[in-house]
Amino acid sequence: MQTLKLNETPIRTCRNFNINNIKLENIEIPNTINKFNNIKITGDISLISNNTSDIKLTYGIEEGLIKQIKEYQNAKIAINCNGKLQCTHEKLDIDFNLDEDNSTLLENLEIIANENSKSTIILKYKSEKDLEFWHNGVIRVNAKKNSEINIILVNLLNIKSNNFMSIENNIEGNAKVKYTIIDFGGKNSITNYYSNIIGENADNKINTIYLGKENQLFDLNYIGELRGKKSNIDIEVQGALTDKAKKHFKGTIDFKKGCKKATGNENEACMLLSDTAKSLALPMLLCSEEDVEGNHSSSAGKIGEKELFYIMSRGFELKEAMKLIVRAKFNKIIENIDNEELKEEISNEIDKRLD
Amino acid sequence: MCPEKGISKTMSKTNIDEINRNIYDIKNKDEYEFKIKKGLTPEIIKEISIQKRDPEWMRDFRLKALEVYNKLELPTWGPDLSELNMEEIATYVRPKTKLNNSWEDVPEDIKTTFDKLGIPEAEKTSLAGVGAQYDSEVVYHSMKEELIKQGVIYTDMETAVREYPDLVQKHFMKCVPIYDHKFVALHGAVWSGGSFVYVPKGIKVDIPLQSYFRLNSPESGQFEHTLIIVDEGASLHFIEGCSAPKYNKVNLHAGCVELYVKDNAYLRYSTIENWSKNMLNLNTKKAIVGKNAKMEWVSGSFGSKISMLYPMSILNGEGSKTEFTGISFAGKGQNLDNGFKVIHNAKNTSSVVNAKSISKNGGKCTYRSLVRIEENAKNSKSSVSCESLMLDDISISDTIPVNDIKTDEVEFSHEAKIGKISDKTIFYLMSRGLSEEDAKAMIVRGFAYPISKELPVEYAVEMNNLINLELEGSIG
Repeated sequence: MQTLKLNETPIRTCRNFNINNIKLENIEIPNTINKFNNIKITGDISLISNNTSDIKLTYGIEEGLIKQIKEYQNAKIAINCNGKLQCTHEKLDIDFNLDEDNSTLLENLEIIANENSKSTIILKYKSEKDLEFWHNGVIRVNAKKNSEINIILVNLLNIKSNNFMSIENNIEGNAKVKYTIIDFGGKNSITNYYSNIIGENADNKINTIYLGKENQLFDLNYIGELRGKKSNIDIEVQGALTDKAKKHFKGTIDFKKGCKKATGNENEACMLLSDTAKSLALPMLLCSEEDVEGNHSSSAGKIGEKELFYIMSRGFELKEAMKLIVRAKFNKIIENIDNEELKEEISNEIDKRLD
Repeated sequence: MCPEKGISKTMSKTNIDEINRNIYDIKNKDEYEFKIKKGLTPEIIKEISIQKRDPEWMRDFRLKALEVYNKLELPTWGPDLSELNMEEIATYVRPKTKLNNSWEDVPEDIKTTFDKLGIPEAEKTSLAGVGAQYDSEVVYHSMKEELIKQGVIYTDMETAVREYPDLVQKHFMKCVPIYDHKFVALHGAVWSGGSFVYVPKGIKVDIPLQSYFRLNSPESGQFEHTLIIVDEGASLHFIEGCSAPKYNKVNLHAGCVELYVKDNAYLRYSTIENWSKNMLNLNTKKAIVGKNAKMEWVSGSFGSKISMLYPMSILNGEGSKTEFTGISFAGKGQNLDNGFKVIHNAKNTSSVVNAKSISKNGGKCTYRSLVRIEENAKNSKSSVSCESLMLDDISISDTIPVNDIKTDEVEFSHEAKIGKISDKTIFYLMSRGLSEEDAKAMIVRGFAYPISKELPVEYAVEMNNLINLELEGSIG
């Protein structure tokens, strides 16, 4: 059993605000790593190889956990979106299913979105049984000029597992990188997300929903560094917490010198569905450039009584009414997913998890 | 026609010399009756205690605070404080005068300084009482007769320790314990001067009281302690002003303000801080707010080389309220790390924060804050708004707010914006006949207006003058 200190913010604030990093106690790090066999890949599988480059991260979740992937990775996937044919939209679905025989997933995923390519990649993490699984992954995206990449990351692991994710993006001129993150699973679900938005007119959008129950803990550390002129980042995070679930959201938009006319928006909203759920947020705006526009907003509170009353007056019970409101709030983000089956699955998960 | 293209041609930047801070930079000769040797040792603390004629409990308290100071680490966040060397700072400097209650008795050079800062004049026209501190000691204290008759106490802190021991001992460094952070512990060990105010139950003090703190001596520190108790149903507006001339080596200000706003009471605490730009301003301010009481903070932060200042309201009483309205203005070489903290610790409490910052000429402004709504603070509300304005591309502006919500029955919202002055707005004002410089100054004053309107007229004028002074020649 170990204590892990992870997910450091790029800038520290007072120690007693308890947000500079997250301490996880009594964590059992698996030391026997078996082969991971339960991966299902559909779509343009010709894009896949195992030629990944060395892992070098600017931030990352924690040195030890990154080292674990470097040394023991059991899922190594390189995706090369080539965009050879103009107007071709390349699609790839990768499902990772954790089970008794595949209880530890250490994946190293590298995606190169070549110039003018357009692609959608769905990554789904699921655990069938109610056992304690371990997922520790690195996703690296290199979006070349004029590329468009849409990544849908769906964490439907059970709430006994540990889920660690380090994401890094390098976004060149006129490239567009869009993430839709569905973060429902994990006793501890810790995400470190970093974008280096380097090119002129480069664009990064992150839309996240999280849903926590019982003693789940979410620690989301999103960092966007804007370097390119007229570059943009939009971060939208919507969440709901019930029972004793807890969420830390650390969002940093950093306007670096030279990113003239760049824009950054960050919106974080947390629905508290019980009086013991807890929301901690640190929406940072850092600015070393004059000619930019940065906004952030953050809110937390329970579902409006009027909304609840209205729905209940139509014959719904309280729990059903709450589910309906949570689904409605999340829908704006779920609508980004161009896959009806997956949307349905996510909606069902919301219902199941709020039961 | 493209107005923005047209205007961009006129927006060349001009370099400026160091701003003339005129009256604030008046240096008097470094004359004193007693200056403690530099550094921090138990012997030095004991010597300060002897010089201040402390009672035994206070001497023991100072020594305990020194122990705590030696154990605590420097903050691992915020501005770099490595240039602060306590071995080079004299923590106690007694000016060549005693406490006076008439300006006529104050030595000429000290009186002239306060005259130029407009303190005696303000006392005549708009204040109910004035305290003036010069280096480590209060040199002048006075209050209108009718307030004395109503039982209001407004005196220097040393007199309070001697004359109101029970009241002081019950409250002194209880709101801000010495364990809070390193510089509070330092303050506990070497504090000197400051004001004590007690407003009895039900008494409304309609005209503000003001304390002005002036640090003249180079390589020294000012560690004044302000303790204000506004008893049940009473009300008070207290104003604090601070300034110092500039020297080459750093000076340190580590004051402490403890405010007790009892049930149904009201306190407004206004500060115009204009320390010189070699000052490290590591000040601590905290208020404990009782049932249905209200605490308002109004703060203008213009001076200092480094400032780390985060006033805090602890809303302990049901239905208590707090408001923070503040502006920071950082110019060349300044790093102003300011903000606000509030703990909602009872039902039906509310907080409203309106913070603004302006950075120019390479200055850095950081808004750092905490809103914590505890589990027992059902039906509480908090609304935070912060806006930052960048006047050039060599300055820095950061917003680092923490929002810690521990229960569901709350309404919490936080908004922040960073940006430059809109070219369109400048163009509009210029098309009405204003020069670009005047247009920008007008926009900045408009940006600061929500704060300046909260100040008494004379101070709002002073703040506008400071803004003009800071902007003079810096934009073009």
